[in-house]
Amino acid sequence: MQKNKINPQDISTNQLITWCPGCGNFGILESVKRAISEIANENKLDKKNFAFVAGIGCAAKIYDYLDLNGFYGLHGRILPVALGIKLGNPKLKVIGFAGDGDTYSEGISHFMHAFRYNSDMTLIVHDNQSFSLTTGQATATSQQGFKSKAEPLGEFNEPFNPVKIALASGGTFIARCNAFDIQHTSEILKKAIEHKGFSYVEILQKCIIFNKEMNDLNKLMFKIEDNKNYSEALKLVEMWDYNSKKGKIPLGVLYQTSKPILEEKWFQLKQKLEK
Amino acid sequence: MKYNLLIGGQAGQGVNSISEIFTKVLINYGYYIFNYKDYPSLIRGGHNFNIVSFSDKPLASFESKFDGIIAVDNLTIKLHEKNLKKTGFILNSEKFQDLGKDINIALAGALLNTFGIDKKNVLKVIKNKFKTKECINIGEKGFDSEVTKYNLNKLNNKISLMSGSEGVAIGALNSDLNLYVAYPMTPATGVMNELAKIQNTKRDLLVFQAENEIAAVNASLGGSFAGANSMVGTSGGGFDLMSEGLSLQGMSEIPLVVYLASRAGPATGVPTYTSQADLNVALRAGHGEFPRIVVAPGDAYESILLTNQAIYLSNKYNILSIIFSDKHLAESQFSFSENIPKFLKIVKNRKIPFINKEVIKATSYEHDKFGNTIEDPKTTIEGHDRRLKKYAELQKVCEEFEMVKIYGKKNSKNLIIAWGSTKGAIIDAIEDLDCKFLQVLYIKPLSKKIKKEMQNAKNIILVEGNSTGQLGRLLREKTGILIPKENRILKYDARPFVCNELKEEIQRRLK
Repeated sequence: MQKNKINPQDISTNQLITWCPGCGNFGILESVKRAISEIANENKLDKKNFAFVAGIGCAAKIYDYLDLNGFYGLHGRILPVALGIKLGNPKLKVIGFAGDGDTYSEGISHFMHAFRYNSDMTLIVHDNQSFSLTTGQATATSQQGFKSKAEPLGEFNEPFNPVKIALASGGTFIARCNAFDIQHTSEILKKAIEHKGFSYVEILQKCIIFNKEMNDLNKLMFKIEDNKNYSEALKLVEMWDYNSKKGKIPLGVLYQTSKPILEEKWFQLKQKLEK
Repeated sequence: MKYNLLIGGQAGQGVNSISEIFTKVLINYGYYIFNYKDYPSLIRGGHNFNIVSFSDKPLASFESKFDGIIAVDNLTIKLHEKNLKKTGFILNSEKFQDLGKDINIALAGALLNTFGIDKKNVLKVIKNKFKTKECINIGEKGFDSEVTKYNLNKLNNKISLMSGSEGVAIGALNSDLNLYVAYPMTPATGVMNELAKIQNTKRDLLVFQAENEIAAVNASLGGSFAGANSMVGTSGGGFDLMSEGLSLQGMSEIPLVVYLASRAGPATGVPTYTSQADLNVALRAGHGEFPRIVVAPGDAYESILLTNQAIYLSNKYNILSIIFSDKHLAESQFSFSENIPKFLKIVKNRKIPFINKEVIKATSYEHDKFGNTIEDPKTTIEGHDRRLKKYAELQKVCEEFEMVKIYGKKNSKNLIIAWGSTKGAIIDAIEDLDCKFLQVLYIKPLSKKIKKEMQNAKNIILVEGNSTGQLGRLLREKTGILIPKENRILKYDARPFVCNELKEEIQRRLK
């Protein structure tokens, strides 16, 4: 039980932050701290009630910047570790921090299965449409024509649309945010963590070093009301294809529904939750 | 006395049911049994067989010549008749053709009458297994169709029959296992099935089938981080996929227990058959340098004990423990009359989130003592030294366990060295030979006793189920003693050693 109120800065560490100046990750870090401190205070929770998992990449550096129980895992394996933590102690509120390379390339199978399992946890994908810590190669969400040292002729493949995959995989909470809109992102993250089931938040953060071509997406973005209608969700996830620099990009809860969660289907976990 | 029976038929015709009924009755009669199961990778059809060997004395192997063939189909006779002893018998299904899928029950009845078992005992076992009156009648019809050929007396032995998989599961349960994560793969799946079926509301055990082995090993580490006593199980290809997780264990120092049941590789290899070729990978898999233990039980009883020790050591030293098995050990049934000794109590020697007040961090990155990421040379060295210190600790603490076992003539100048599932065939083969057998149960660390034994022996013979003599190579690395090529008995036809064939191989090399 909570003894003292938790402020966002109470979740900070004094480790040197090594993200590039101006990186969207700063915004995500702040949004996360706000969301977690609010949830902790409203539910009288302590820091020890939370655990987070990071993958490998720029996003994963957040491991050193959050003063919470943390597991700095391997590239792409955020979700299996997070699931394992829930199987080990379903009472922990588990949040995963991943990049687009992490989730949509190395860990795509875990991503799709996570929706099937519907374990009560949250995945935050810091999507900058490039592998940046490895100096700027194309990921599965990079736009066609994206040039890198590895692909000087430009990326030939179309990106895939992760929010559409999430919807097709049976997601119960699918949201998209803009890393630079801290207020909105922290509100959505709070809803995601409070959602009963697997919540997935795709955060467009732009890479200001390696994928500048996609740095102007802000002007396409618009906020929506929380959506619980499936046919509407189909339209929302289709609205932007991750390739185009035109059109409209809806932000907010693209779809939310309710399905039985893993922790209630397994009596072993249910027993622990009720204890 | 010793009998060696082959029971064969197509997959789906109930070969295993015949051996199950037969061995259940024989266990009640106090006989030691070894049941070898041979099957190709298919679900219906083909040719499966069990070789059931039994004796009034302990045994753990089978022979190439049969005292009897129990044939559900004609192919069984065609394939194996050449190996029937002159005095041997054949029970075929001709008389029972009208019974359809229940031919196996009739054959079990017929077989038990052949050995002079009391009808009441036979029908009781059939009733327990199949429940219906119809099946009992079929069992009786089978029983009455044969005459008694051998009279087995009831013995006073109290015997347990157990597969290696069951042994690992019992060992894990008695080590308070909470979480078993796996992806199906023969021959490791047996343990997953054993544990899965005993999940109940009174036991804090969850068996989870992950989307792949990479997920399994990472989820196990996540569970372990959150305080669960966790384990994964796999075979060669799945173990390869888990390699990154082994390395993550090394850096994060979160306990990880891997049950590795090997089969014949490389790649898909001969998937339902046995092999000891994955020892190298068990010893070395995972990039970077970090401590681990590798234990290799040789039968079901040792599977119980070594699983307990592996889980104990993993939790006490926050290390990787690998329990090495193979298809022959995992799926064969072994009998023993020993009582299971006291289990080591598992002590979690780590801070656990939620239970501990302070923030707990675990990481794949090089880190300081608080778990913060570092990249400087001094702290990098400190991290390595902290992990490497465990090698010496483990060497010391493992010596308290039975890291090696010695069998046979204690003063013989001939020394056989082997490990894992070859144990049974070796012990049975050397019964009346002038030699000593050193079984290696701890492959990492290795017992210091091994070098002494090797130095004292005049003639060392290596027995392994692989083509390169992987333990032999390790022994040479650790002791400087080379076992000459002509003294290496290596079997890599994906089949286990056959007792009498192995005996000839050993005899030729004795001095």
